Parts: sequence; C-alpha cells; structure tokens
Amino acid sequence: MRRLSHSLAVLWVVATLTFVLMRVTPGGPFDREQRLPPQVLANIAAKYHLDEPLISQYLRYMTGLIQGDLGPSYKYLDRTVRDIIISTLPVSALLGILALAFAVIVSFPAGLLAAYYHNSWTDRWCLFLATLGISLPNFILGGLLIWIFSLQLGWFQAGRWGTLSSIVLPTITLGSSAAAYLTYLLRSTLIDTLGADFIRTARAKGLKEIVVIFKHAMRNSISPLLTVLGPLLAALVTGSFVVEYVFAIPGMGRFFITAVTDRDYPMIMGVTLVYSTLLVSANLIVDLLYSVIDPRVKRH
Amino acid sequence: MRTPYLPYRATTLALCLFLALLSCAPSSEQAQEKVFRVNLGTEPPSLDWSLATDQVSFNVIVNLMVGLTEFDRNLRPAPMVAKSWEIHDNGRKIIFQLRDDVLWSDGKSVRAQDFEYSWKRLLNPSTASEYAYILYDILNAEPYNQGKITDSDLVGVRALDDWTLEVRLKHTAPYFLAITTFEVTYPQRRDIVEKNGTRWTDPSIIVTNGPFLLESWSHEDEIRLKANPGFFLGKPAIDRIEMVIVNENTTALAMYEQGQLDFIDNRSIPIFEKHRLIRQPGFRIVPQLRGYYYGFVTDRKPFDDVRVRKAFAMAIDRRIFPKILHGGEQPINSWIPPGMIGHNPEIGLPFNPSEARRLLTEAGYPNGKGFPEITLGYNTDETHKMVAEAIQSMWKQNLDVLVRLDNQEWKVYLNKLNNDPPHLFRLGWGADYPDPDNFMKLFTSTSGNNNTRWKNERYDELVERAARELDEQERVRLYNEAQRILCETDLPIISLFVTAETTVLNPRFTGLEFNSMARLMLRQVRLTEPTGANPS
Amino acid sequence: MKIEKRPRGLWRELRQNRAALWSLGFILILGLSSSLAPLVSPYGAGGLDEAHILENPSLDHWMGTDGLGRDLFTRVLYGARVSLAVGIGTTLLALVIGTIVGLISGYARPLLDNLLMRIVDIFYGLPDLLVFILLSLILGRNIVGLLISLGLVTWVRFARLIRGEVLQAKEFVYVEGARAVGASHPRILLRHILPNIMGPIIVTLTFMIPAIILAESTLSFIGLGINDPYSNWGTSWGTLAQDGWRAMRTYPHVIFFPGLAIFLTILSFNFLGNSLRDILDPKGNLR
Repeated sequence: MRRLSHSLAVLWVVATLTFVLMRVTPGGPFDREQRLPPQVLANIAAKYHLDEPLISQYLRYMTGLIQGDLGPSYKYLDRTVRDIIISTLPVSALLGILALAFAVIVSFPAGLLAAYYHNSWTDRWCLFLATLGISLPNFILGGLLIWIFSLQLGWFQAGRWGTLSSIVLPTITLGSSAAAYLTYLLRSTLIDTLGADFIRTARAKGLKEIVVIFKHAMRNSISPLLTVLGPLLAALVTGSFVVEYVFAIPGMGRFFITAVTDRDYPMIMGVTLVYSTLLVSANLIVDLLYSVIDPRVKRH
Repeated sequence: MRTPYLPYRATTLALCLFLALLSCAPSSEQAQEKVFRVNLGTEPPSLDWSLATDQVSFNVIVNLMVGLTEFDRNLRPAPMVAKSWEIHDNGRKIIFQLRDDVLWSDGKSVRAQDFEYSWKRLLNPSTASEYAYILYDILNAEPYNQGKITDSDLVGVRALDDWTLEVRLKHTAPYFLAITTFEVTYPQRRDIVEKNGTRWTDPSIIVTNGPFLLESWSHEDEIRLKANPGFFLGKPAIDRIEMVIVNENTTALAMYEQGQLDFIDNRSIPIFEKHRLIRQPGFRIVPQLRGYYYGFVTDRKPFDDVRVRKAFAMAIDRRIFPKILHGGEQPINSWIPPGMIGHNPEIGLPFNPSEARRLLTEAGYPNGKGFPEITLGYNTDETHKMVAEAIQSMWKQNLDVLVRLDNQEWKVYLNKLNNDPPHLFRLGWGADYPDPDNFMKLFTSTSGNNNTRWKNERYDELVERAARELDEQERVRLYNEAQRILCETDLPIISLFVTAETTVLNPRFTGLEFNSMARLMLRQVRLTEPTGANPS
Repeated sequence: MKIEKRPRGLWRELRQNRAALWSLGFILILGLSSSLAPLVSPYGAGGLDEAHILENPSLDHWMGTDGLGRDLFTRVLYGARVSLAVGIGTTLLALVIGTIVGLISGYARPLLDNLLMRIVDIFYGLPDLLVFILLSLILGRNIVGLLISLGLVTWVRFARLIRGEVLQAKEFVYVEGARAVGASHPRILLRHILPNIMGPIIVTLTFMIPAIILAESTLSFIGLGINDPYSNWGTSWGTLAQDGWRAMRTYPHVIFFPGLAIFLTILSFNFLGNSLRDILDPKGNLR
C-alpha cells in the first residue's frame, strides 16, 4: 500500500507542477481572433475564474481533478478537455497495443534464436538488426515505409485510421524500436538462463530440446520481460504522437501537439496528467505483479 | 541466409500480404450513396458566420447556407433568396423582395427578419465580429458598431414584412449588391442563436437553409454534410460530403492518389508535387483574386520609419516566387490584382538593392549595423515558410539584416496579430467580393482586418470617394492615387504576389465550380455521365 | 573486487571491435568536418540559389539541392553542429546534475538519500517529451534553452545509476581505509569512488547521446524544436527532414540525406556504446 500512496504523491506533484508551469507561461482564454472590448474581456476572465487569486484557482482546479473534471479547452470553447481525451485516448491506446503485439511477435523468435545460437552469425545478425531498429527514428522509418509500401507499391493506406490497411504501417513504425529493445532483453535473459545449472540438468536427463527451451528456459526468463511490458506499453502509448502526426491518426498524442502550438493549457495539462497516470500505474502494476510472481523479491 | 529465420519471416510476410489483400476489398461506401470527399486542411475555427473570417470556415458555411444573392459565372450577383430588388433614391435605398419558398432545416420559412437579425448581430459590438465593417455602408451601421449609438433600430436595415427587406445606405454604394453574396450576410435564426449561445453551431442544434445539412463534426478529424432534401432549388446530386481534416498535405495527396479523396487544392498538394500533377486528368490551375503580402507594424521601431520600410521592400526580387512555389504565382508590386478594375502594374517600387541599402543607411543603419532584432511572423504552412526563408535570405544578402522567423498555427497566429504582433507579419487577402473596394478598404483606418496600425486620411478619403463613384474612369483614377500611397509613398505593406489555386478533380465527378474567389461550392457537383463528353 | 580498466587497455580492446572503430571514426569525422564547415564546403549556410532548385545529387552538389536551391550537403554538415552540440551538451549537463545528486544520495545518510530519491521518482513519473515541451515553452527555443530543458528531463537516469554504483562502491576496502586515514567525505567521493565507477558512467553517457539526438530531431521534425535563426550554427537535421518530407514522393533525396545522417550518427553512438559496455561492464549491470 505504500506503493500506492507513493504513486499518488507523484501524481499530485505532477499536477501541481503542470499547473504552475501553465500559469507561468503567457497566453490564455482571451485568445480569440477578435480584438475584444474591455467589458467582454472582463466577462471572460470572470467566467474562467482567472481574476481570482492563484491559490483559489489552484484549489478549484484540484478539486475538479478529483471529480474527473479536467477543465474546459481553450481552443474548442464548447468542449471540455475530458471530452477530447475520452474520444482520442482509445485510438492511441489501440495503436500502442498493436505496436506492442507486433514487438512481441517479432522479438520472441529473434531473441530466442539469438540466445540459442549465441555468438554465432545468427546472433550477430539479430543484434545488428536490433541496434538498427533502435537507431532508426520513428519519423524516418515511417517516411520510409510510406514511400516504399504506400507511394511506390500502393499496398497499404498511409493516412487516417479505421480501415485494416491503415493500421499496418503505423503499427510497424511504432513497434520496431520496442521490438529491438525486447529482442535485446530476451536475448540477454535467455543467455543467462540457458547457462544455468537446472538447464544442464534437464538436458542431462535427456529431455527433448524443445521441451528444455520452452518449458524450462522460457518460463524462467518470462518475469523480467513481463515487468518490462507494462511500462513499455505505457511508453508506446505516450510516445505515439510522432507516428500519429506522420500518419494523420486522430489520437491523443496528435492533439497534444496541436494543444502545444495552440497554447491550449488545460488540454496540455490534461494530457500530461493522463500520460503520467498511465506511466505511474504501469509501474505500480508491474511492481505488484512482480512481487506476486516472484516471491523471492522483497519489497524494500 | 541460414534457415532458422525463414519460417518466421515467411509468416510475417504472409501476414502482410493477407492484410494487403484485405485492403483491396471494395469499401462499402461505393455502394449506393454518392459521396464526395474533400480535405479542409485545418479545423475551422468557427462555423458561426458572424464570427468566421477565414477561408476554411467559409468553405463549409457556403455549402450549408444561402443568402440574398450568389455569384454567377461572371462574378456578378444573381438572385438567390432575394428574387428581385429595386434601387431607389439614387442608389441609397435597396428593397429586396424575398422568395417565400426557402425553408430552414427545421421547416420554418426564411424571412426578412432573419436577415435583419443576422446583419444587426454582425454589427453588434458585443459580438465583436471582425467583418462588421463590411456593412458600414448601411445607415448608422458604423456608429452602432463603434458603440456610439446603442439602439439597433436606428441601423438602416429593416424587415418591412416577412418577405421584404429594406436597406438604407448612408451613401451610394455601387458594389453593395456584391456584398450580399458574402457569407457573413447570410440570415440567422434569432431564436436558435439566443437560446444556445456559443453552442448554436453544434450539429444537433444548428439550423441552416442551404443545399447541405451539417450532419456531424468530429473535431480535428472530419465534418460530414448530407444533402438537404428540402433545399428550394432541389436536392443536390451528391448525397453526402465528407470534409476530412488532414493537416499534412503529403498525406492528403497520397489519399487522393489512393482514391480516398475526390478533389484536392493547394491545401492538399505539397509544393514539390505540383510539377508532377500537371499530367493528371482533372488538373487545373485557377488564378485567384488573392494577394499575398507582408505587413509592417508601423507604430513601432524600426518600421515606424518609412525609409526602412521602403528599403525592405526594394530588397526583394519577386521573380523568385513562381520558381520556388511552382504554382503559377504572379509577382506584383501594386495591390489590386489582375482581373479587377483598378489593376495597375505600373504602380509600386521595383527591386533595387542599391537604393534599398542607401535608404537603410539614410535611416541610420549603415550596412545593417545597429539594426534591432526583428521578427517576421507567419502561420504554419510550407508555402509561407519557403517564402519567409527566401525573403530572409534576400534581406540578409541585400541589406545585411538578419530577421528572425516565428510561426504559429493559424488561430494562435491571428490572435497574436491582435494582441502581441511581431514586427512584420505575413497575411493574404482573398476578395470577399470582386470589387477593388474590398481590397482597398482592407487598409483603411477603420478596417478590423488592418493589422498594420497605419492610418492615412488621404487614403481613407480616396477609398471612400471611389466607393461612391459611379463613373468607372474616375474610380480608376482615385484607386491609382490610393495605390500609390499604399505601395509607393507610405508602404505599410509589401505586396508580393497573386496566388493561383492548383486543383485536381477526380474525373468521376464534374460540376465543381472552383472560382477565382476560392470558394469550394459543391452544390453542382455530380457524377460524370459514363457516356459522351461532359460540359465542365 | 572491481578491477579498474586502465585507459591503455581500453583502447586496445576497442580496437578489436570493428564496428566500434568505424563508429568512432565516423563520429570524429563528423564532429571535425562540421565544426570546420566553412572550410569544408564552398557554399554558405543560408544562401538560396534560384537557378538550382531541387536538383538531384551531382558533382557540384553532392547531396543535391533543396526547394530554395541551397546545397543539401552544406545544410546537413551545418546541421551536424546542432545535433552534436545538443546531444553532447545535454548529456554533459545531465551528467553533471545527475552525478552530484547521485554521489550525494548514495553516500549520505538514508534520510537525505530518501529525500533525493523521492525527487528522482517524481521526475521518473513524468512523461519525458511532454515535460520537455512544457519546459521549452518557458525557457525558450534557442539552443541554450533547449539544452537546459532536455537536461532537466534526463538527469535522473544518471542520478539513479550513480547512486547505485556509489552504494556498492561504499563497501570497498579502500574506502574504509581512506576513512581510517581521516580523509574527508568529498575527498573520498571524488578521489576514490568516482574514478572507480567511471565504467558504467561512460557507457551510459555513450548511450544517452544518441537518445538525445533522437529526441531533438523528432521534436524538430514535428516543429517543436529549435527556433533560433539568430544563431549561425545551422539547421537541425529534424527540421531538414521535415522540409524534405513534403518532397518525399518526387524528390526523395531531400529527406533521404538528413535521415541518413541522423540514422548513421545514432547508430554509431549505439555501436560504440555496445562495445564499451562489453568491455567496461560485461556483467550487464546496466539497462
């Protein structure tokens, strides 16, 4: 339970920090296209409570947060931040999940082969490809994929979201660095495991190789991987905005970018909070899972 | 390559192929409904036509609504909701007779009171419309909008009865009929607007009278319109319009070429692709009545000094623009674009870098030394970026002055111009109605769209007189003098070029009237007949 | 007991790894040629040339020209300055802050340690790029502001790492010995502990730089990167990539070369980091 309170504390600090950052930077809800008469300006200030002292604004915001109210959007004057997030978060989440699935599907065999044929050509090639995967920035990979598969070959759709053909390229783009990372991880964990005594015992017992690998080695290597999957998913969801931008996907990340250029502060705050919550909860869940799966781990 | 890899690679490949095959399956939209898809490019800031000021918003509004008149092929106002009109009192009074069969989408009739309400709302100071000044020719409109009088009954627009609208002008205005084609003069429903406040343009609330209805608005994603069966000229040939919002023009172009869009214009065509598209069927370049200029904020250093302004203007070689923009842009030194009366290519300051340097030295900055830090602002767009970078380079090369570039998204940019403008800003101006008055009035001291803070009484006076002048030759003479002030002596702006719109229309469709006023009017769009030639 | 690797031994080991050698070579050449850019390329950094717009690579223009007629090779070369400066500068800044905090935290009493670690935890809970964007709104988008914003976001990695290492190093015999002799704490920290934990620090450093370069080019690509035309440094590769992206279909060279530059640079640092890690930290205590 200390973990939980600790996480909540982190979130609270995040909220406060973002609030402060928001108030420090210039711009506000008066930002409309017209030059407004002073009376109207005063009315707007009163409406958004911007004429109150900072402390009461802060308290007002915090109480609103607890109730799930993230404030009105400064750009879309008739929508709240919550509305926008509710409609866009699922898109980013789906993209993240698909990317993670792709990463797992690709990294499993790759990491396995690399570890099994440790120090051979296969291993070196896998490592090489993995390094490539990590070194290639999202937008370049995305651009490359679009150029080859969408523009030149016309196989896949490159833009928007909704049809089966439109999800392939973004998934690959977002998932490839995660795939590379997982490959590394799986490989090193498996190398360690495969060298352990109990594996040697299993082999000595005459068990078939396949059984040795999957039943014994893999199962023991899973836990470090699982602990990583949670935060990785969170990282994918929160890091998807470049991919969303490049592929014109209406996800939360892309809204975040527009919110920054538009100085839509409540929106920026709302998205930051949601992302933080995702990260913190992912870590929390992983910690809890870890202590459940592996009772040897003591909580310090 | 060794084998252990192969099975996995094969499966991944097979998976990809499978997905690719799925994507080739015909989409359900090709079934019975006739759908037309375009790209708006950016999210319209507002669909309230008393508040809208930009082309994106108007492109949507023009399909939702009709007004008193509409442009015909020759860009002259033709009857729409107004079936006829009479001009009295030497042009100072116009009586419009309205049709009685135009309906709002909720079944009520469009009446003269709806026009009166809308125009007064436009002029109401608390609406804070930027386009209020477009109706200043109306009696008492200006004082009402400035807050000098508060009784809206004194304003010279009045519904005599349900089908008769009387407009009294403060002076003769030969172009006033053209103004009635402009979207901000469309009628509005008082009951709907007053009851719902800022939400009245919500798809579930809004009430319109035009060829299409607002079906849904998914922000930053798509606006959907559907055909209005109750439209008084008959239901449009297209059942549904999908207006997507895709910021990235590379993506939009790819979408068109994959068949997901049916029409693209400048907003959806990257500059560097224009060359290639010339060979496409359905390609057309439509010259626009649209100028592109850089404005100075003239009440701040260093641009409060006219010599500095002139120096900057003369350091630009405009011939470069069509070369880097590839879109048929036409360099211009004066302001009124070709195609309008009053256009005069002789007016304006030529490219003269040595004279520019001399002026800058005379103003106190020899060889650019001591020149303060200045910022050039523009709204985020690849065209503006290229123009800005090119000009930045020219100013560095010819004047030895380094200018900082700063860009924001359109809405933020507009707000910045009003509240905290940079020293120089980029803007365009598309004709709201094809009369030079529209272009020249922009820079009068009372114009809400004049961001230069420049005032010149003589200029105001000339524009005013030309607006009332019925003799065309005299008008041209007055506009010449006014343009000389604008582009030669005072120079609050640098006029750069006249834009053209590159368009590609899927040959499956015909009837898209993309005119030089850059309005995307979709009422006449229909599927091309499969046999024979089509009148385009 | 940990064995210190003498510099001479390090170089010898490194030399045996070809990928690392090539990477090191690439980085050095890049750094050198970009700092000396005015000497390397006859074209200026900004000049536009209307006669040579969007040309494909040729003998005159090794990487072709962009939409304003500017030589792409020159732009990429100047862009290297920005990327390398930001990458290395930010990493160093993060290193300094992180080292200070890590050293103190690992060495000091549990109370101070806990406090500092709570702060570190909070930073870890923040989504990196988002916080960076917020910071850049305040600090401005010139190079210095960017360095600080990025540095503030990434220092925590060093802090955690160093703290862990210090905790381990504290137990070594020579530390006790030093304390017995009466050495002061700072002296112990700097003279004894720090040199012995250099290995993991160097490895992390080498991996951090490409991560920063990646972040900076990504941000520039979406338009939230450096915006400071007063600096004559150059244009970020990410911005070049954005310019090129629009021309991708018909003139792919405009995005290809900046993209390649980013890719190769990041790759080089990663390869180098891999090799360094194999040498300095074979047990895989990191990552």
